[in-house]
Amino acid sequence: MTNEPLVVERLLNAPIDRVWSAITDKNQMKKWYFDIAEFKPEVGFEFRFTAGSERKKYLHLCKITEVVAGRKLTYSWRYDGYPGMSHVTFELTPEGSQTRVRLTHTGIESFPRDDRDFARESFTAGWTHIVGTALKGHVEGAAV
Amino acid sequence: MRRDVFQAIADPRRRAILALLATRKLTLNRVADKFEISRPAISRHMKILAECGLVSYEKQGRLRYCNANLRRLNEVSRWVDQYRAFWQGKLDALEEYLKSTGAPQKKPSTNRRRLK
Repeated sequence: MTNEPLVVERLLNAPIDRVWSAITDKNQMKKWYFDIAEFKPEVGFEFRFTAGSERKKYLHLCKITEVVAGRKLTYSWRYDGYPGMSHVTFELTPEGSQTRVRLTHTGIESFPRDDRDFARESFTAGWTHIVGTALKGHVEGAAV
Repeated sequence: MRRDVFQAIADPRRRAILALLATRKLTLNRVADKFEISRPAISRHMKILAECGLVSYEKQGRLRYCNANLRRLNEVSRWVDQYRAFWQGKLDALEEYLKSTGAPQKKPSTNRRRLK
């Protein structure tokens, strides 16, 4: 009921191997995701990156927990200095020459919710900026 | 002490209690019967649920019934929506990225077929 994970799906107009490299190659990740110093799609690999608003940044700490090469990638996702732990999974499925990406984020209810600074800065201020920029020219967003 | 909906649902037993009460009201004894943990432990969970506004009590004759106030859970879905917006934005960005780096459309025939 309340514990259902967040799931977002999208059909991408690109073959599965291109999507896989876009989500696992740090040079490509930098273009659409986050600027991560080092990234290897291997279980146990840890990475970190900073993101947030201009006023306040949050260090994101992640550790890869599952890899099915070319198909599935799961990593933990938490914030340095804050309680809570979540997991993000990318699952890719070929559909002809296209690829369906299914993103699942579990455990977000474990993050501090009553810390105003955290809630506001890490999402409302920080992320809607990213979202707003990325959403430019798109109208399909809310339909999924 | 801080109490909010998120704390209420952080514990799997409290989620189970809410699921139980979602469809019907029960007395505390009946709730306790459904779980294998001690009665004091159930009372503690119920106390937290009540303090978080997710459970209220209602007296009927000699019995006191527990009600779930699931409306409070909307707060949770608003929270989840922020993440949803974030990931929607990220997938939009991924889509844009793939489009911008994609191979030029060399096979107009297949494209045409897809468009019908």
